[in-house]
Amino acid sequence: MHPSHIRDFCIIAHVDHGKSTLADRLLELTGTIPPHQMTAQVLDSMDLEREKGVTIKASAVRMEYTAPDGERYELNLIDTPGHVDFSYEVSRALAACEGALLVVDAVQGIEAQTLANLYLALEADLEIVPVVNKIDLTAARTDEVALELAELLGVDPDEVLRVSAKEGWGVERVLEAVVRRLPPPRGDPAAPLRALVFDSHYNPYKGVVAYVRVVDGALVQGEPLLLMSSNTVVEPLEVGVFTPGMTPTGRLEAGAVGYVATGLKTVRECQVGDTLTTVATPATEPLPGYRPVKPMVFAGLYPVEGEDYNALRDALEKLQLNDAALVFEPESSQALQFGFRCGFLGLFHMEIVQERLEREYGLDLIATAPSVAYQVVLQNGEVLRISSPADLPDPATIKEIREPWMRVQVFTPADYIGQVMEVVKRRRGIYKSTEYLDNQRVVLNYEMPLAEVIVDLHDRLKSVTRGYASLDYTFDSYRPGDLVRMDILVNKEPVDALALIVHRDQAYEKGAALVRKMKEVIPRQLFKVPIQAAIGGRIIARETVSALRKDVLAKCYGGDVTRKRKLLEKQKAGKKRLKQFGRVVIPQDAFLAVLRLEED
Amino acid sequence: MHTRLSSLSVYVHIPFCRARCAYCDFNTYAGLESLLPRYVAALCREVELAGNRWGDFSLATVYFGGGTPSLMTPEMVERVLNALSLAFCMPPDVEITLEANPGTVDGHKLRQLRSLGVNRLSLGAQSAHDAELRLLGRIHTWGEVVATVQEAREAGFANLSLDFIFGLPGQTLERWQETLEAALGLAPEHLSLYALTVEEGTPLWEQIEQHLLPAPDDDLAAGMYEYAEERLAAAGYSHYEISNWAREGYACRHNLTYWHNEPWLGVGAGAHSWLDGRRWANLSHPEDYIRALERGEMPVAEHERIELATEMGETMMLWLRLAEGADALRFRERFGVELEAVFGGELAELCEVGLLEWDGRVARLTPRGRLLGNQVFLRFI
Repeated sequence: MHPSHIRDFCIIAHVDHGKSTLADRLLELTGTIPPHQMTAQVLDSMDLEREKGVTIKASAVRMEYTAPDGERYELNLIDTPGHVDFSYEVSRALAACEGALLVVDAVQGIEAQTLANLYLALEADLEIVPVVNKIDLTAARTDEVALELAELLGVDPDEVLRVSAKEGWGVERVLEAVVRRLPPPRGDPAAPLRALVFDSHYNPYKGVVAYVRVVDGALVQGEPLLLMSSNTVVEPLEVGVFTPGMTPTGRLEAGAVGYVATGLKTVRECQVGDTLTTVATPATEPLPGYRPVKPMVFAGLYPVEGEDYNALRDALEKLQLNDAALVFEPESSQALQFGFRCGFLGLFHMEIVQERLEREYGLDLIATAPSVAYQVVLQNGEVLRISSPADLPDPATIKEIREPWMRVQVFTPADYIGQVMEVVKRRRGIYKSTEYLDNQRVVLNYEMPLAEVIVDLHDRLKSVTRGYASLDYTFDSYRPGDLVRMDILVNKEPVDALALIVHRDQAYEKGAALVRKMKEVIPRQLFKVPIQAAIGGRIIARETVSALRKDVLAKCYGGDVTRKRKLLEKQKAGKKRLKQFGRVVIPQDAFLAVLRLEED
Repeated sequence: MHTRLSSLSVYVHIPFCRARCAYCDFNTYAGLESLLPRYVAALCREVELAGNRWGDFSLATVYFGGGTPSLMTPEMVERVLNALSLAFCMPPDVEITLEANPGTVDGHKLRQLRSLGVNRLSLGAQSAHDAELRLLGRIHTWGEVVATVQEAREAGFANLSLDFIFGLPGQTLERWQETLEAALGLAPEHLSLYALTVEEGTPLWEQIEQHLLPAPDDDLAAGMYEYAEERLAAAGYSHYEISNWAREGYACRHNLTYWHNEPWLGVGAGAHSWLDGRRWANLSHPEDYIRALERGEMPVAEHERIELATEMGETMMLWLRLAEGADALRFRERFGVELEAVFGGELAELCEVGLLEWDGRVARLTPRGRLLGNQVFLRFI
């Protein structure tokens, strides 16, 4: 297909604004998938995505479209992840496109992620086609939202498309706009090959399958390729396009979107953002924008049953094949014994990994509270990267602790500015600026430590704004802070997996709230259990779990013997990890108590 | 030489009630009383079948439990007792208990029951406060309890037991003390005091789940229990099992069979039996139970062989419920191994944390252990 008849585009939207449903309709309308084979939301291939209604991995599909004037076009739809944890992946998917459909829910209107992704799209020089979706809903504010979008983009309100992807209304016009309003692919067909890797997945038969957009030149099966950033040579096993199944074509021309089966063993060797060129006539420069993935949030994952340790390692290895952002290394804890310190892009990513481990691999896990990665500068000048508070060295050897700071955007109705300010202030946020989108909606810009972001900031913002606020954040820099390690002692013993790093100014308040919360979740034992928070050996807060008073089956007669025995067996199994008296079993809730300090 | 067990206890289950109580998850049904005549015939048939196999046992105790056994007419009780005496040897000193709900018996009926040989009456009193009785979904008032006790005495019942429940949602210690005083005022020979267990799926559980009622306070219930222990000791009752008190010589012999883990036969819908190293349960629904026997089949639903190790654990769980405790000598007689050899570690640990007294001969729960019995029992299971 001549590049003038190719369009490479994506759909950007806030979670739940109907991106996947619109994609389904486009596939149906172009006959890419016959209606009877349509499963809801074809592009979201993982169960979890379908359940959470969120796209986790990008994917791509080629459609053939005959315009009303009879011209035939090749449309490549690249789906983008819809969550803030995956903003780098979003940026690479956008870089593979020339245009984007900006989909906004006719009831909800513009939200923080809409904006954040829109800015990313504008940075990538994409042409934007605004679309108001869900106009069939009775609560739809179609005209209002269309006007907002028009103002935001500086376009005529008539250019805003109005659709109901669910009902199929107006979808035909979306296809027409893609062809008419989006530019054909940029790039030079005659130059040496440069193809952008914007996603990948692991296939047990073909190795890592890289999703690529050919920018310059052509990608031909049989020619050895080079991944320019990782300097890895690839002998492609197969080259083809997604229709939406993998269909070999042997060749991808400039402007095309498709895949290369690389035969590589893990997705880490073929990272998103890397550039493929040929070994024979390599391009001089890779495509811009490559950044190796770096986990930002860390937590310990431990099997509840010690014997599941190997199964957990195997499962993590399998997940890692498909998830370049997931890192892990063995970790041991006195409280939880053997497990893994895992690194994630963010909390959402962590949640997905944990859920997949539990669901797909049947593992029963305990997760410790998430922590960020700190840079610890020692007196001798050495810099350590610490992802677990328990690893923090002796304070006397530390010159400075630095923590990651984020640029945070909170999008909220103007009525709630005060409440948002309050939440952010309590989390050491530094206010930067306010932008009014219109007279009701504002974007508040802050800088804030990531450690504060991951402690339920999103839920708190939602709760103080009756669900209206949305949030976006990107990494800014590492900055020094007055940070100290707080130990939690249960029954006078420090529990390593409960240690946390806090700002000194917050230590008392946090310590008190934390031990209070822990008191609620630690079950009563046969003896009194003090719960203490300490900094450098000094106790700063204390609560006591009083001893268990009553635990006895009042009735036990003939008919009950088997039943009572089974009840006791169950109670005993629940305590399996408690091998002797004197040890307090700490339930999962206690490890996450730190995340819920402000709940009440 | 092996000793042959010569005596047996029989439990007769009557799975019918006028109305289900709010806290009850027993195998009992409201509105099926019309099945009673066929049910009694089925009971007699089951007794007969059991007699064919175990007829050379002599009956130590018979216990009519429920449900509400007092819904039976005296003629029905008589038919069952006749069937039992035909099937087994029935010595004159047999203990025959019948559970009765106040409001389902009168003086006449009680006299008839007494003359049939029923010599122990267990009354479900539950509370001396009508508001609490309504909360529990009981169909009677405290006034009716008092009247029934009076009538039972007049009918010649010299062995009377009353059941009470404590730790009710919203119940105060004072309220409980009043109930206890009222109970003592009736001078029963035997008292069963049960801490309320909120069983999943019962109406009471649902109300608590929906926050219509406060959940029972375990610490307060513990206080109520300790108060009862003290008060009943002062009144001359011996605390012979975790939830049971009796005047000298009035411990329930039938229930002691369970706690000694000695054999018993249960007849009736859903009844359990423990004989010859096996435990089995009958079909729970009365219609299924009746139909099986009408076809001439044994009405057994589930069946379990109890391995020796399990039996040892269960025996400890049951023996330790009793004030007399677990006796090392009896353990050796029964199992042919030393108690110390099997459970020495557990006994020592439990002693150390103060839940058990163990002097090498007898192990007993401490007062604290009685409130934390599960923590003790689960070490033996």
